Amino acid sequence: MIQDVISEDKSKAFLFCNEAIVRAALESDVKVVAFYPGSPVSEILDTFYRISNNFDIKMEVATNEKVALEIVAGASMGGQRSLTAMKSVGLNVASDTFFSLGYTGINKGCVLVFADDPFCHSSQSEEDGRFFASNAYIPMLEPSDPVEAKEMVKHAFEISEKFKTIVLIRTTTRINHQSTIVPLDPLNRTVFESTSFREGEKKYSTVGSKAREYKLMMLQRRDKIKDEFEKSQFNFVIEGYPNFGIITSGVSYNYVLEVCDKLDIRPPILKLGTTYPLPENLISNFIKKLKGVIIVEELSPYLELNVKALAKDTNPDIIIIGKESGHFSEAFEYNIPIIFNVFREIYNIKSDTDYRTLLENRNKLKSILPIRIPVFCPGCPHRATFWALNRAIGGKSNEIAFMNDIGCYSMLLLNNDIYSKLNPDDLLLSMGATLGTGSGVSLASKEKVISVIGDSTFFHAGLPGMVNICHNNEDVIVIVLDNSVTAMTGQQTNPGTPVGDPKKKIHIENILKGIGFEDLTINDCFDARNCIPSFKKALGEKGPSVIISRGPCALWNDRNKRRRGEKIQPYYVDRDVCRKCHTCMRDFYCPAISMEETMTEFTDENDKTWKGFSSHVSPELCDGCGVCSIICPYTNHEERSAKDVIKPYKTPREVRHDL
Amino acid sequence: MTYNIMTCGVGGQGLMLVSNILGQACAEQGLEIRTAEVHGLAQRSGSIYTHIRIGDKVYSPLIPYGEADVLLGMEAIEALRYIEFLKPDGNIILNNYLWYPVQSTFERVKNPEISYISIEKILEQLEKVSKNIHMIDALDLAHQAGNPLTSNVVLLGALTNIDGFPLKIEQLKEIIPRIVPEKAIDANLKALLLGFESK
Repeated sequence: MIQDVISEDKSKAFLFCNEAIVRAALESDVKVVAFYPGSPVSEILDTFYRISNNFDIKMEVATNEKVALEIVAGASMGGQRSLTAMKSVGLNVASDTFFSLGYTGINKGCVLVFADDPFCHSSQSEEDGRFFASNAYIPMLEPSDPVEAKEMVKHAFEISEKFKTIVLIRTTTRINHQSTIVPLDPLNRTVFESTSFREGEKKYSTVGSKAREYKLMMLQRRDKIKDEFEKSQFNFVIEGYPNFGIITSGVSYNYVLEVCDKLDIRPPILKLGTTYPLPENLISNFIKKLKGVIIVEELSPYLELNVKALAKDTNPDIIIIGKESGHFSEAFEYNIPIIFNVFREIYNIKSDTDYRTLLENRNKLKSILPIRIPVFCPGCPHRATFWALNRAIGGKSNEIAFMNDIGCYSMLLLNNDIYSKLNPDDLLLSMGATLGTGSGVSLASKEKVISVIGDSTFFHAGLPGMVNICHNNEDVIVIVLDNSVTAMTGQQTNPGTPVGDPKKKIHIENILKGIGFEDLTINDCFDARNCIPSFKKALGEKGPSVIISRGPCALWNDRNKRRRGEKIQPYYVDRDVCRKCHTCMRDFYCPAISMEETMTEFTDENDKTWKGFSSHVSPELCDGCGVCSIICPYTNHEERSAKDVIKPYKTPREVRHDL
Repeated sequence: MTYNIMTCGVGGQGLMLVSNILGQACAEQGLEIRTAEVHGLAQRSGSIYTHIRIGDKVYSPLIPYGEADVLLGMEAIEALRYIEFLKPDGNIILNNYLWYPVQSTFERVKNPEISYISIEKILEQLEKVSKNIHMIDALDLAHQAGNPLTSNVVLLGALTNIDGFPLKIEQLKEIIPRIVPEKAIDANLKALLLGFESK
C-alpha cells in the first residue's frame, strides 16, 4: 500500500514488488526519476507519481524510454542519484543510449530496472534482456522476490557510484507482480540541492578514439566488478547431497526450493543474484566436484552456456541438464509442475503426483466455457471510432490493409472475429511501427492503407514516421486515437494530457500542422454517426489523410468524475419498443450490453410485430457514453422522447471507488 | 504448511482489495504471504486471477495445480476457468453471478437461439472436482450491506468462515478501515459479516 511505501515508522509491510522497488529508491535518497510506462513495471511510475509531492524528488513522465534513460543518465552526470524503469521492449528503444553509457559511465548512482515478460503476458515479444548487460558491459542484478528486489536496488546505487557505471536490475513479470512482506529501513532523505555539472570530474563524450579508450577501460571495469561479485551476498550456495547440484536465479529459485521440499531432496544449490558479470570462480568451484548440474532459468540458456564454457576447464565430464539437454524449454514461463517433473526424473524419485493428467482432466471440464478476451471498456472512445470506421469501410474489407500499433487498440487483434471487417490482424509490430510499415505497404501494394496510432505512441515513436509520410506524400490514412492518456498501462499522463502548470500540454494538431498536414480532420469519436463521412472521404482520396479521433479514456474520465463528485448516468433498453434488430450489439460489442434470454414482442404503430431477443444494458457496467443510443436506428438521441429504445436510466450511479 | 487460495473473476471486480486485506492481516499476525497477480489487462473486462499463499514458509508465488485449498470465484465462468488449481474436494466459494463475455454475445448475434452459459452447467462441472461448494448471491448481500460494490468483501467474509483458514474475521475487521475509503468503511464491514454468516 502507498502509505507503507512512505511509512516512517513501520519495520515491515506487505508490499507489491514495484512498490518495494520505489521504497528502495527512496531509502537510497534518489533525487531524479523518469519513466515511460510499460507492463510489468508501470506501477513503479504510478507509485512515484503518487508520492513525488511528499518528497524532494524531480520526476518526469518521459516521452519514451530512451528519453527517460537520457534524463536519469544526465541527472547522474549532473550530480544526483537517479532511477528509471522500463519493460524489455522499452530497453530496445533506449538501447542506443544504453550502449554509449557503458562507455562514458556516469557520476552519481544511476539504476535502470528492466523487466522481461516470459509468456508475453503484455508484450509483443518474449525477449531475454540479460544479453543487453553482457553486450554493453553493464553490471546486472537479478532478484528472486520483492524482498531481494528492494535489497538489490539499494545495493545497485552503491555499485553504481563505486564503479561509475549505470547498474541494471533485471526482473520478470512474476517478480514485479508479486506481493509479500518486505522489511523496511529508515528513509533518511536529504534536501535536494542543485549540484554542479562542471565540478564533476568527468566528461561523457564517446566517439572514435575516445570510444576506443573507453572500451579498454570498460573491460577493466568489468573485471573489477566481477571480482566484487565473487563475494556478493546475492550469490550463495546451499550445501547438500547427492553430488548432482542446481544452479538457478530469479523467480525460478523459489520454484526450485518448493520442488525440493515436495520431493524431499536436499541437493546443493547455487543461487545467482549477480548475473553480469558472472562470479565465474564461484560457479567453477561449485561445479568442480559435481557429477551433474541442473540449470533452472527461464527463456534463453544464458546461465547454461556460461556454465558449459566454465565446465570445459574445471569439470569437462559434468552432466549438464537444461534447455540444450531437452529437459527445459526456452519458451514461456516456468512453474512448479515443470520443474517438479524434471527433478523427479533426474533425482529418480517415486511420486504419485501427476500434474499432467490432473491438468488434462481438469481442462476437459472446461470444454463448455466461453472464451473471455480483454475488450474495450464500457465507455471507451476506441469502440465508437472503430464502429464508425467499420461502417465507412462497409463491404470493402478486401480493399484495405490495416496497420495496428501498441496500445489499447492492439486489442482489436485479440478480438479479430468481432472486428473482422477491419482486418485487425494484418500487421502489428512495435511502438510507432504503424506509420513506417504503412508507408512500405502503400508503396508496394494496391490496398488502401489505414494506420492507427494512439496519442502516447504518437509522442513516443510516431513523429519520425509522420514526417516521413508527409515528406513523401504517402498514400496512407493515419487515424490518431487521442484519448488524452497512456491508457493501456494504467492511464498515465503523456505530453498531451492536461496536467496543469508548469507542464505544458502539447497539441497533436499543432504538431501535425507544423509538419505540413494542412487538411486535418478532428472528430469527436462519441458522435459516432457523424464520424463516418470523414472516414469515407479519406478512403476515397489519394495521398495522406490524417484524422484525429478524439475522446477521453473511459477509466481516466471516470476517475476524474469521481474526483469532481460526479456520478455516471447509465442507459437502458426499453424492451417494450425495442425492435430486436441487434444494431446496438453488432459491430459494437460493449461489455455492458448483452442479449436477453427470453423472447419478447413489440407491435409498432403500423401494426408490424417485432419478435425476438431484446438487448439489455447492465446499469452497473454502463459508463454512460451513450453511443449505443446514437447507433440505435430507433432512437433519436438529439430529440429524446418516450419512443426511443435506448435512453438514460432514471438514477445515476456512483463511480467505482477503486478507480 | 501453506494455505492456498486461488481467487479469480473479471477485471474490475476488486480482486486486488481482497489480497491487500489478507496481506495486511498476515503482516500483523506474523504470517508469511506471497501473492501473484495479473495487472495491465485487468481492467478491460478480461479474465483475472490472484494466487494467494499463506503459511510459515512460502516459496513460490504460484500455486501448483491441484493444491488450492480454496477456489474463490467472483464470477462463475471464471471459477471454472481456474479449476485446475483446486485440490480434489477443496472448498469452492462461488458468487452466483455471470458476466457474459462479449464474445458470447457476438455468437448470439449470429444465432440468437443459442443461449449464454448457465450457472447450473458450471456447477455440474465444478462438482466433478468438489462437492464443497458454497454459492453466494454476493451482489444481493452487498446491496444489503449498503454498497453494491462490496461483493468482493462479502466473498472474503465467506472465505473467513472456512475451516482451516489461517486468519480470523476479527483480524480482517481491523484492517478494512485502513484500506477502504472512509465513507465505505461501514458498508465493507457489514459486507464482511454478511459473507461470514452466509456460510
